Amino acid sequence: MLKKGDIILLVITALLSISGYVGYSMYMDRIESLSKIAVIRYEDQTIRRINIDTVDKLMEFTVNGIYNNKILVEKGRIRVIESDCPDQVCVRTGWLTKTGELAVCVPNRLMIKIEGENLEIDGVTH
Amino acid sequence: MYKTLKVAILVIILIIALVACKGWQKPVESENFLMGTIISQRVYGKNAQKAIDAVNRRILELEELMTVNRSAGDASKINEMSGKSLVPIDQSTLQVLKKAVYFSRLTGGAFDVTVGKIVQLWGISTDNPNVPDKQEILDSLKLVNYEDIIIDEYSCSAGLRYENQSIDLGGIAKGYAGDEAIRLYKEYGITSAYINLGGNVVVLGKKPDGSPWRIGIQNPRSSNGKYIGIVEVADKTVVTSGDYERFFEKDGVRYHHIIDPKTGYPSNSDLISSTIIADVSVDADALSTSTFIMGLEKSIDFVENLEGVEGIFITKDKKVYATSGLRDSFRFSDESGEFEYVEKR
Repeated sequence: MLKKGDIILLVITALLSISGYVGYSMYMDRIESLSKIAVIRYEDQTIRRINIDTVDKLMEFTVNGIYNNKILVEKGRIRVIESDCPDQVCVRTGWLTKTGELAVCVPNRLMIKIEGENLEIDGVTH
Repeated sequence: MYKTLKVAILVIILIIALVACKGWQKPVESENFLMGTIISQRVYGKNAQKAIDAVNRRILELEELMTVNRSAGDASKINEMSGKSLVPIDQSTLQVLKKAVYFSRLTGGAFDVTVGKIVQLWGISTDNPNVPDKQEILDSLKLVNYEDIIIDEYSCSAGLRYENQSIDLGGIAKGYAGDEAIRLYKEYGITSAYINLGGNVVVLGKKPDGSPWRIGIQNPRSSNGKYIGIVEVADKTVVTSGDYERFFEKDGVRYHHIIDPKTGYPSNSDLISSTIIADVSVDADALSTSTFIMGLEKSIDFVENLEGVEGIFITKDKKVYATSGLRDSFRFSDESGEFEYVEKR
């Protein structure tokens, strides 16, 4: 059986690990909510993650597939600026600035998403 | 030594329990390119990932059955054998066809999946959409008639009465897929989930914190993601049809993708967007398309008379109308300032 000392040790260890865990996850959540991470996915694979808040120079790159999406990144925002796809939905979507926002090029199977929850709405019907 | 080990094991169990608990609150999110669009899911619960995988597999199955772009699918087989014989089909295709015929009758033909030939003529959702010859459209219009869909439930087969007739399930298949997703979530014990199939939203339950899901209604004249209002829902589907979703321009004229089965041309009612809120997504999918074609006056009366169905309609002159059942759950909120909410007609 457990002795008194064992129980005290158990309680202390448990408390320490709980507070450590809670503290750590709160810290991680805070870090996550403070920085906006744009995730660029192509063909259901994540090909790039950019912290758009720390971008201090204009950044431009192209994702080549069946079609080609030219992506532009500035401090705090990202968009598809040019595409040779037939529907141009990705370009018309414009800048993404808030968490949860999404730009999609279905013909090229490209998606840009700013990670995190959208605080105003859960989704948009269209 | 033995006791220290015991303590260590207990602590580890405790931490695992905590981590598992934390994981239960965070949703699993997934985005996949399926059914010619993007499908986003947000699912809560310990089986979330398994449920998402099952839904993706099911949607892929349905896509293969119902798209006309795959020759082995049911829709293609029905079209190929039109006027010749019935073809054996999957139970799900049969369900979708039955729904299609039901809503065609209910809407007096404003909804009609036998527009396949005309959709093909326009090249809608291909890389090369074009304006067909007027005579070609007139000729193909003769092939449009939902009463020519023959369904044999006993042998689970279906066909089209005349040669060259053709169905296109694009206006209803995503709705059915949404209902199937909810069925699978439930099967996996999920009580809170959101799925968006290229603009068709379906939600299961409320959010884990007990609040309803907040669904934005796309601003039909702004970029993707900008909305004119928010509707709060639980255990509902929200489906919009609009002239802005897919379109092309030729000689300065804009042609969108929703074909009026009576004219063979893109629908030209007074609506630019039509949203249906209902319990069943396949119903909402068919009804959003048909109300978009029917126009404001007819649609409002029509929807008011359907039980458990509500609608939000936006006209060409940028006025927003909602049916009476939405008074409490729809909040007009237009950042652009271009739209006007008409609360009382």
